[in-house]
Amino acid sequence: MTTGTASANPSAAAACWSCGAAVSGGHFCAGCGRIQPLARGADYFSFFGLPRKLTLDATDLESRFHQLSWKLHPDNFAGSSEFERELSLERSSQLNDAYRALREPLSRVEYLLALAGMRKEGQQKQQAPPELLEEVFDLNESLDELRGARRSGGDPVEMTSLRKRLQAARENFLEKLGEVDRSLEQLFAEWDRALDAAPDAPSDAQVPAQWKLMERMNEALNRRSYIRNLAENVQKELTEA
Amino acid sequence: MGRTVGIDLGTTFSLIAAFDPAKGRPRCVPGPYGSTLCPSVVSVDPDGSILVGEPARRRLLTQPERTIYSVKRLMGRGVEDVQEELKLFPFRIDPESRNVIRVRLGQRVLTPPEISSFILRELKNWAEQYFGESVDRAVITVPAYFNDAQRQATRDAGRLAGLEVLRLVNEPTAAALAYGLHEQRRGRVAVYDLGGGTFDISILKLVSTGQGDIYQVLATNGDTHLGGDDLDLRLLAVARQEIRVRHGLNLVEHPAVVQELRKALIGAKHELSETNRATLLAPLPDGSAYVREITRAEFEGLVQPILERTMGPSRMALADSKLQAEEIDEVVLVGGSTRVPLVRRMVEQLFGRRPHTELDPDEVVALGAAVQADILSRGVKDMLLLDVTPLSLGIETMGGVVAKIIPRNSTIPASAQEMFTTGVENQTGIDIHVLQGERELAADCRSLAKFQLRVPPGPAGLARIEVKFLIDANGILQVSARDLRTSQQQSLEVQPSYGLNDAEIERMLEESIEYAEQDLTRRQLIESRHEGEAILQATAKSLARLEAESCGEMPEAERRAVKAAESALREALAGEDYKLIRARTEQMNQATLPLAERVMNRALSGALAGKRLSDV
Repeated sequence: MTTGTASANPSAAAACWSCGAAVSGGHFCAGCGRIQPLARGADYFSFFGLPRKLTLDATDLESRFHQLSWKLHPDNFAGSSEFERELSLERSSQLNDAYRALREPLSRVEYLLALAGMRKEGQQKQQAPPELLEEVFDLNESLDELRGARRSGGDPVEMTSLRKRLQAARENFLEKLGEVDRSLEQLFAEWDRALDAAPDAPSDAQVPAQWKLMERMNEALNRRSYIRNLAENVQKELTEA
Repeated sequence: MGRTVGIDLGTTFSLIAAFDPAKGRPRCVPGPYGSTLCPSVVSVDPDGSILVGEPARRRLLTQPERTIYSVKRLMGRGVEDVQEELKLFPFRIDPESRNVIRVRLGQRVLTPPEISSFILRELKNWAEQYFGESVDRAVITVPAYFNDAQRQATRDAGRLAGLEVLRLVNEPTAAALAYGLHEQRRGRVAVYDLGGGTFDISILKLVSTGQGDIYQVLATNGDTHLGGDDLDLRLLAVARQEIRVRHGLNLVEHPAVVQELRKALIGAKHELSETNRATLLAPLPDGSAYVREITRAEFEGLVQPILERTMGPSRMALADSKLQAEEIDEVVLVGGSTRVPLVRRMVEQLFGRRPHTELDPDEVVALGAAVQADILSRGVKDMLLLDVTPLSLGIETMGGVVAKIIPRNSTIPASAQEMFTTGVENQTGIDIHVLQGERELAADCRSLAKFQLRVPPGPAGLARIEVKFLIDANGILQVSARDLRTSQQQSLEVQPSYGLNDAEIERMLEESIEYAEQDLTRRQLIESRHEGEAILQATAKSLARLEAESCGEMPEAERRAVKAAESALREALAGEDYKLIRARTEQMNQATLPLAERVMNRALSGALAGKRLSDV
């Protein structure tokens, strides 16, 4: 690990550091063509020149990623000044981070919610959604039984029936996961329609309807991660047994 | 500016290659022994000079205690990491070693980056000889699964060898680049790279875009301590056991015999790639010999469990790339160990298709490195490598748990920003521990570095320090911190957990220059002594011959001049001044010219005796 040198001065974002021409957050100066520092708080959607929509064409996104890779990758700046190499490193890492976040629908919506300050890494609620409490309780009981049976050598007949019960529980949760995914898709479509209807709307947080929509998505995501964890735990126990 | 080269710094062999603009493709540079493979063996002479490659490999048999092979296994590792290795490899680790291993070779104590730098310097010499111009910039390849410390150690080795390291490129990616250039491949490619000491599997997507071809790595996995060496060790263990039983001999006290045996086993291993049986023959310390026939089937039975260990990482890489085996369009084999027929069968079975072996598996990585070197030095804009980081990056949080901030297989450069604040009032520092690996607990991951953020005293939670973790295109981490309340960039003092710090590298760099001069002086001394002794011997011979054939008296003045030159030369030879030895040798040459002429004439007339002039 090495210690990075000072990154670009953000105050230079308004004027090109090289020729002084006005720049408006683009990757390169329109005047002299030099690579520009990242403005602080620049978001991943605008990095790709995209609106904050949740349904994206994967092929289009990939081709944008490749186009920008050609332009921003450090390979292109091997012979440039140290400052420009720094800028390329900063921009190309941002490009890769952005592609990683936007490529998958789930990380995309998580990113959108994080942008709005609604979702923070490591702060998701991990308590069971109320309507699942009973099933989760049953599941934990079966899991305990399975572990107990395994420890004590286990009666094969009992083990088989336990495994069946757990398998069924897992399938049930996977089905619920599918339901959450479908409801998320609907929410995405709703979000995108709202965006289409008001493309010049002020910031997200000021639009109560949008905020409400984000809250619903956030809830669905929490539900999803909870159910997925359950299904994975069951799977783990089943493969170990 | 000198030439830019690509270097494959391998466990067993290293190669250097450069792009040939006339032919439009890269080529490997041969060394003084005609081969493009330089054995990655380093030996320290009793007089302190360094031998690298073939001469050093020969020293394994005669002076194993001054000679080291497979040093790549020690790169970027601490003493506790290599305990298993120490049971198997004849490394003599200095007891003073801490976060960087120090190896004893004769009278010198050297770190793995220094030892590797000797190999790089040797290759640099090869290329400079070959091209007749200086070589000062290089792309060096590393196993894709190398962690941050192992990469840093490789970059340090380059610096110590006097090379500007333009880029570290992952070996399988370099191989894909060489193949792509050669075969114009498209689609999804799996590169299975089993070398002397490391295993990598990479899944790539080759895309043609309007601008050119993109080589995008989707996922990589591997094992940095698995390779042909391990097959040799397995065979060696079996042989030593048999020697114990059959001959009642324990070879622990006979390192040179072990090396001889190892050499024979490697020979048999190579033979078994071509034939169904091979015969082993190795001398034993009691004067007898170990003779043993081994069939390919027996060999495969012995090494199968080792080769099985490549299958887990291969499946993992496939899963991470979200592809099924049948979606892979091409499979490429890289590394000398993929010559083993069993490896080919296993790979073919896993991917359900016959792997490509058109390019020499030993050379392909260096060739790809040369392509990347060309891209970086000339700014070629029709090919682009997008590689990934092999291991997740994380920071230690409460309870020793690791929070992943950059997942494995993220395209590099990649970054993550984290906000830190204080937990108690007037806290002046925040400790950060950075790790690499997939496990949940910090204790199970690889510690990369620790550092402390400085905080101005104030109420708890007021500080806002943003730390940016950035993995660059070499796969090496950079860290920077900014105090968001003052917008001030904070300088960090990062102590690497394993590896050399800047001061140590500076010191070694100075030493290496000093040593390089010393080594050159040594070499010149050895050569001049050799010449001086040669002329003394030749003179003695001529005088004896003149005496024996009692032909032609030598004029007294000439005799005195020869005697004087001889004693002057002997005097110089007793000293260490190679310039003086050269001067006195030249004087001796002059003094013995008439003598040489006389002897020459005698020989000529003798040869011509009894022959007619027309026959001459």
